[in-house]
Amino acid sequence: MPKDALHSPETLLDVRNLSVDFRTPRGRVKALRDISFPIRKNRIVGIVGESGSGKSTVLWALLGLLAKNADVMGGEVRFGDRDLLQASEAQLRATRGEEISVVFQDPMTSQIPVLTYGRQMLDILYRRPNVSAAEKRRLAVEMLGKVGIPDPDKRIDQYPHHFSGGMRQRAGIAMALLTGPQLLLADEPTTALDVTMEAQIIHLLQDLQKELDATVVVVSHNLGLIAELCDDVVVMYAGEVIEAGEVREIFHNAQHPYTRALLECDPARIDDVSRKLPVIPGDIPDLTKPRSGCIYAPRCQRALPVCHETLPPDVARGETSLARCHLLDGLHHDPSWPPPLDVMTVGQEGSAGTKPARAKHDAALLEVSELNVQFETIGPLRARLKGLSQRHVDAVLDVGLSVAPGETVGLVGESGSGKTTLGRCVLNLVPSQAGSVRFEGKEIRNMPEARFKPLRRDMAMMFQDPVGSLSPRKSVRALITEPFQIHDITGVDLDAEAERLAEMVRLPKHFLSRYPHELSGGQARRVGVARALALNPKLIIADEPTAGLDVSVQGEILNLMADLQAEHGLGYLIITHNLPVVRHIADRLAIMYLGRIVEEGRTDEVFARPVHPYTRALVEGVPQPDPDRRRVHVSISGEVPSLLNRPKGCDFAGRCPFAQDRCRAEKPPHVTMADGRRHACHFPLG
Amino acid sequence: MSENRSEPVTGIPAVDASGLPDHVTETEIRESAARERREKLRSFLTNWQGLTGLILVTAFFASAIFASWLAPYDPNALDVPARLSGPTLDHLAGTDQLGRDTLSRILYGGRVALKIAAIGVSVALTIGLTLGMIAGFGPRWLDSLLLLIFDTVRSFPTIVLALATVALTGPSLTVVLAIVIITSIPQYARVARTATLTLRNTDFILAERSLGASMTRTLLHHVMPNVVGPLLILAAMDVPVVVTVEAGLSFLGLGVTPPTASWGTILNEGYLVIRDAPWMVIAGGIPLILTTLGFTFLGEALRDIFDPRMGKGR
Repeated sequence: MPKDALHSPETLLDVRNLSVDFRTPRGRVKALRDISFPIRKNRIVGIVGESGSGKSTVLWALLGLLAKNADVMGGEVRFGDRDLLQASEAQLRATRGEEISVVFQDPMTSQIPVLTYGRQMLDILYRRPNVSAAEKRRLAVEMLGKVGIPDPDKRIDQYPHHFSGGMRQRAGIAMALLTGPQLLLADEPTTALDVTMEAQIIHLLQDLQKELDATVVVVSHNLGLIAELCDDVVVMYAGEVIEAGEVREIFHNAQHPYTRALLECDPARIDDVSRKLPVIPGDIPDLTKPRSGCIYAPRCQRALPVCHETLPPDVARGETSLARCHLLDGLHHDPSWPPPLDVMTVGQEGSAGTKPARAKHDAALLEVSELNVQFETIGPLRARLKGLSQRHVDAVLDVGLSVAPGETVGLVGESGSGKTTLGRCVLNLVPSQAGSVRFEGKEIRNMPEARFKPLRRDMAMMFQDPVGSLSPRKSVRALITEPFQIHDITGVDLDAEAERLAEMVRLPKHFLSRYPHELSGGQARRVGVARALALNPKLIIADEPTAGLDVSVQGEILNLMADLQAEHGLGYLIITHNLPVVRHIADRLAIMYLGRIVEEGRTDEVFARPVHPYTRALVEGVPQPDPDRRRVHVSISGEVPSLLNRPKGCDFAGRCPFAQDRCRAEKPPHVTMADGRRHACHFPLG
Repeated sequence: MSENRSEPVTGIPAVDASGLPDHVTETEIRESAARERREKLRSFLTNWQGLTGLILVTAFFASAIFASWLAPYDPNALDVPARLSGPTLDHLAGTDQLGRDTLSRILYGGRVALKIAAIGVSVALTIGLTLGMIAGFGPRWLDSLLLLIFDTVRSFPTIVLALATVALTGPSLTVVLAIVIITSIPQYARVARTATLTLRNTDFILAERSLGASMTRTLLHHVMPNVVGPLLILAAMDVPVVVTVEAGLSFLGLGVTPPTASWGTILNEGYLVIRDAPWMVIAGGIPLILTTLGFTFLGEALRDIFDPRMGKGR
């Protein structure tokens, strides 16, 4: 077996033939099957896979923290001279936190809200009785400083809720590194963070790894993050390691058809703006009855008869790479595989979607101008008592936006930018304080619900959480026919409508009797699209349409949306933080920062030549799924300020590398440039 | 921005089927749902508490419903020569000071208890659910007003409230029912309100609003199915409370009027002769204890099985 070649003495941790089952009411789910990979010392190793690939299960198995219904069916986890799977609970406790520590995905829930950081960090060092409390505190302050927390000696006495999201994740890293572990495990460390924060955390992890000579394992679904951060990559699919190797090997010379397909599906990698995104057809297999052949064969474009029958060999290439595929070795070796990088191996689902010639209506479908939404922060009585004059925060400030029929407008911003509030305000779900919202020329802002209701047939919303936005006790059939009942539309055959809509969103008919919790993210998203489209609306507001979806599935949803637009001439307002995705579907982009639109223009122009420094930071902030295009510096620092203390001048001035005195004193007005682009910057970039 | 799928809300069996592939057919889904139901039933039946509860509750219902067949005597038939007899073959549970057969009176007394429990709990649950959902979903001032009312009602001791009412109206079964309903509405309403509040800002309720669903429709179709589960468990646990309240009030002479048999009146009459004929109090107390235990066990077993937040780790 060439596998042994991989297990050199520089291996810190070695997973060998690990198998884990989960006992569920549906039977035993074979979540990990015979997994082997080494983790080399002083490297950053990325474990990448989509949901259901078992990447998190590996992580928890290493720590002995698997869920109660998990059974380790065999294998070893060699760490030094020990097998962690055989270690007693006491030994594991001594290992966790001291030798192996973890950075969690969501710092909100992984830190203790009622203890100060100082207290939490002192507790981490409880196994050091001969270190004085003062010395422990000094170590903690030093570590907080190292992860880039300003005034660490003061902030150490603060509680997690005093820290912003990015700071909390930094503190989480500091806590994980405090004991000087040999191995640091990071579970989706940036998934809960914004794009600009993500870049900062990536660089922090990289710098710390170099400085401390630590070994880091990062588990993520984000190919950009893996390419940017890691040295070695392990690709998992449906509970198997299907490919492993150095980061350049994986990203430039992927051997396994799945790895290859996954890379091709990442919208950040696709440079030409087509309206069709590649997808991997099908779904992850049922792991209660894993197949005997290659686990990926049912979705593989290159599957041969043998792939369905016998398990492919692990084909090693060089010292460190291996891939599990019949095409690479043996009888079925195909020397022409893998094809050059510019050849696409996966298809683009759906009809050849050509953008319809935009209906040249002069009248915009939706026109928002000078819209202001304020949220009350304190009641009138209490404000009087406390002597406060300002009782509001401006969630949306002087926003102007328009969507034409058949047009897709992307509204991009980080969390707290007010983009979701704006979307909800358009649909009259949030009251607004000033401005105007016109739909087909008619003023609809703050219209009473009784008069607004007929308009809801023309405007529909898709919500961020695909499963959570479906009423949990209703069947899919009831959910997608509900709009007819709400609007008292009689004379339609509801069953026929349900089937028509299911077909329209390419949802197999038998799904109609399922319930939301029985759907995968992609399927639930289709139900959401069907509900939105039930009454043939003219405008759809889609809040993060790809959130919670895997890379291989999000293309399906976006392609579906594009097809439906071509067919029905829908106008889309797509609210997202995901720039690579909107790039392929939006005609125009509006960039929002702290409730204001800072730049607006045609998508290709905004990408090619951002005018506002914030836009440029966002465009550059997307981690590229290419290890050769790593960024050397982080373009912007800091975090989005709180709405409660909005800067006096330009909202972005505090983070802007080009800020001048005028920016800090004076709010830049919206300016329309000669080519129709609008921006709000005193010193637009040339 | 978290890309996590959020967990399903309140009381919904959290079955993660997101990994289910496309090719799983409807029959397979049905089968897996049926398997899950069987699994639940089995865990219910293998749970000794649940099983005991079920047997006791069934016995309670059966004895009350079939009292006229089961009772050996007319509960009000006097047999003065045999007064205050202990358990004999003729009178299995003895007789009272008027010679009425205690067993028959217990069986008929069960009817009163069942009536109070069934009507009291179902009416209180319905009103509590409605008010609770309105409080949780409506404007803030309405919520505060309703909470104020609930807390006011809860702050009255049941017995004092009953005494005051009886002083005005005189004792009757209707008064007992009214007292039981009024005093138990707040607890249903509070549970329903809390559950509604957590649902109120979920995406799916917002999604309904964005489709134009009216408040009534949202409450009936989308909030209620998710709120009613915990309330039913609460109702099972509330039955013994209601039954003892009735017994207590009847014991004090504030409830059922003689000669109607009720567990409370049996205890009351037995109490007067407790030195001479203690078995009457014992015979009247046992069904009360068994019914209380039965419903409590049943309620706890149901909660363990259907409320995933509390039942795990047994």
